[in-house]
Amino acid sequence: MPDPLTSFVALVGQRSLQAVREVGYHAALLVEAFYWLLFGRWRRQPVRLSAVFKEAVGVGVNAIPIVALASFAVGMMLAIQGIYTLRTFGAEGQVVLGISLSVTREFAPLITGIFVAGRSGSAIAARIGTMQISQEIDALRVIGINPVRYLVAPLLAAMLLTLPALTILSDLIALFGGALYCAGELSLPMGIFFDRSFEVLVADDVIHGVLKSFIFAVIITLIGTANGFNVSAGAEGVGQATTRSVVLGCIGIILADMVFTFLMSR
Amino acid sequence: MNASDLAIDVKNLVTHYGTRKILDGISFQARQGEIMVIMGGSGSGKSTLLRHLLGLHQPTSGSISLLGKDITQLSADAMYDLRKNMGVAFQGGALFNSMTVGENVELPLREHTRLDENTMRIMSRMKLEVVHLAGFENLMPSELSGGMIKRAALARAIVMDPRLLFFDEPSAGLDPVVSAELDELILILRDAMNMTIVVVTHELESAFKIADRITVLDQGRILMSDTVAAVRASDNERIQSLLNRTPRNEAINPDEYMERLTREIF
Amino acid sequence: MDIKIEDWPPFKIVRLCGDVDLHSSPRAREAILDCLKLKAPLLVELSAVSYMDSSGVASLVEGYQTAKKQGLEFGLVAVAQSAMNVLKLARLDKVFPIHASIEERLESA
Ligand SMILES: Nc1ncnc2c1ncn2[C@@H]1O[C@H](COP(=O)(O)OP(=O)(O)O)[C@@H](O)[C@H]1O
Ligand SMILES: [Mg+2]
Repeated sequence: MPDPLTSFVALVGQRSLQAVREVGYHAALLVEAFYWLLFGRWRRQPVRLSAVFKEAVGVGVNAIPIVALASFAVGMMLAIQGIYTLRTFGAEGQVVLGISLSVTREFAPLITGIFVAGRSGSAIAARIGTMQISQEIDALRVIGINPVRYLVAPLLAAMLLTLPALTILSDLIALFGGALYCAGELSLPMGIFFDRSFEVLVADDVIHGVLKSFIFAVIITLIGTANGFNVSAGAEGVGQATTRSVVLGCIGIILADMVFTFLMSR
Repeated sequence: MNASDLAIDVKNLVTHYGTRKILDGISFQARQGEIMVIMGGSGSGKSTLLRHLLGLHQPTSGSISLLGKDITQLSADAMYDLRKNMGVAFQGGALFNSMTVGENVELPLREHTRLDENTMRIMSRMKLEVVHLAGFENLMPSELSGGMIKRAALARAIVMDPRLLFFDEPSAGLDPVVSAELDELILILRDAMNMTIVVVTHELESAFKIADRITVLDQGRILMSDTVAAVRASDNERIQSLLNRTPRNEAINPDEYMERLTREIF
Repeated sequence: MDIKIEDWPPFKIVRLCGDVDLHSSPRAREAILDCLKLKAPLLVELSAVSYMDSSGVASLVEGYQTAKKQGLEFGLVAVAQSAMNVLKLARLDKVFPIHASIEERLESA
């Protein structure tokens, strides 16, 4: 029998190898999707605008209600927490600054990313996974349709278009939530709240959030599609892939957020 | 047999899944206009062979020539062109579930041609007529029965008038009447269009009815590739047991058997 | 593929020669539909067709339906075997008026 330490090391080695392989697969998928987006028409296989539009409705437009609701709640929560904390210093007036910066730089992109990952990441993995086990992916290939061009590229484009837009929407609605609470608690007119907010915010803050949303868009698309393509065993496999794509998608987003924030604030 | 009228020419094909050898030294040929049936028990490698013929996997070694082109060496663009001459009906149909039956049948035309919208509509409806599915083009695949799905898949496979048609298990899971109808269709298609048709099946009756030649696979090797009469007359034990449906009864090698049972334990 | 358009009063004749396939059938379709715009009865002559696929047949179907709507005659003449096979496959040989030759159609008038 092999001793526990050796087998533990072997296990760690295997897992790392698998992780590296997976990262490699994602990278290749990303490169290929961009390739088709940019050069598809020269290879006689253009990425159809109608497909991008359809995906954009699915992942973006349909996500508006839930992202709006979550953003509103987060804005309000930040106001409640901010006023409660700042009151101990007698600095409630600073709450506008706190809300504005944390919403645009951190919360709006994060909330949007997490919700879209939960909503669409799972749906993408389920759709592609189901297509994989019903041989629809093979059918695409034998017809001569590259599955990455047909399924991944339009989705990637749609995500890159809609996630930043959703993030900006989330910015506005979260600020509105914060303003509403401040109006009640501090008798601060909403007009004044927004005036002050736009005074402290510089373009950089909003861009910071939007840049993150581009990264999240890539992460959600790649993790969802890759997990879908790798489904091999039946309905159970599809179930695992959807779960995996949501969990990995959310973790990926949070880790990327941390790294990005760290790098940008140095 | 003249090399130029060989529609399919497989030489010494060897394939693996991971480290497991699945096909071993497969060679066979089919002429233009011939119906070649690939037979064999479950797990003998029929589907694997088909997937290689379709260019869905790269073999370990050997060559596969379709219409005079070796698909193991072909560039992506040349393969894309070749695919216009290939039609495939998968075992489960592999219709795209998000599209209507009509859209499914039209898809190859949309991807490969610049025909007028009306022409494409008429062409796809003509093919639905051929498979006796007239008037079903607006239904979704989920609204079709098993036999209808196979026929719709066949309509999609022949919409481009391919010179090569591949059909995986046409009769699996169908009642005898419906599967006899499909056999009839295969014969009509060959006669009208001079297609070369490869049918994978484990149904003897259907095989003998439609085949010009039969290739018998057993555990990844070819037992025989010959005319129907020759296969019927063969005195090979495994072929006879396939024909007579007797369970296999192999000689046991005691050492190998013990090794299989106790591998990785001692 | 070559297309020749001839006048055999009162008929217009569209003569298709060579391969009528995915590449060339759009031109055949256009020629047929253009002729029908002249409001003349139309015969499509197919004796020199070496190969016709379903896109060619689809063009004939569209032409026939267009002619019918305008109350114009539409017929096929001297259908070559390969084209006939495709017509038969979709049972269209029982739908199109098919004549052995142009002269035959003219005499029967
Ligand atoms: N995706 C796969 N990965 C690993 N092994 C496979 C895979 N597909 C098939 N096999 C194995 O290959 C062998 C041949 O399978 P298959 O070609 O499906 O046989 P058949 O179609 O004749 O029933 C079987 O032993 C099967 O377990
Ligand atoms: Mg099989």
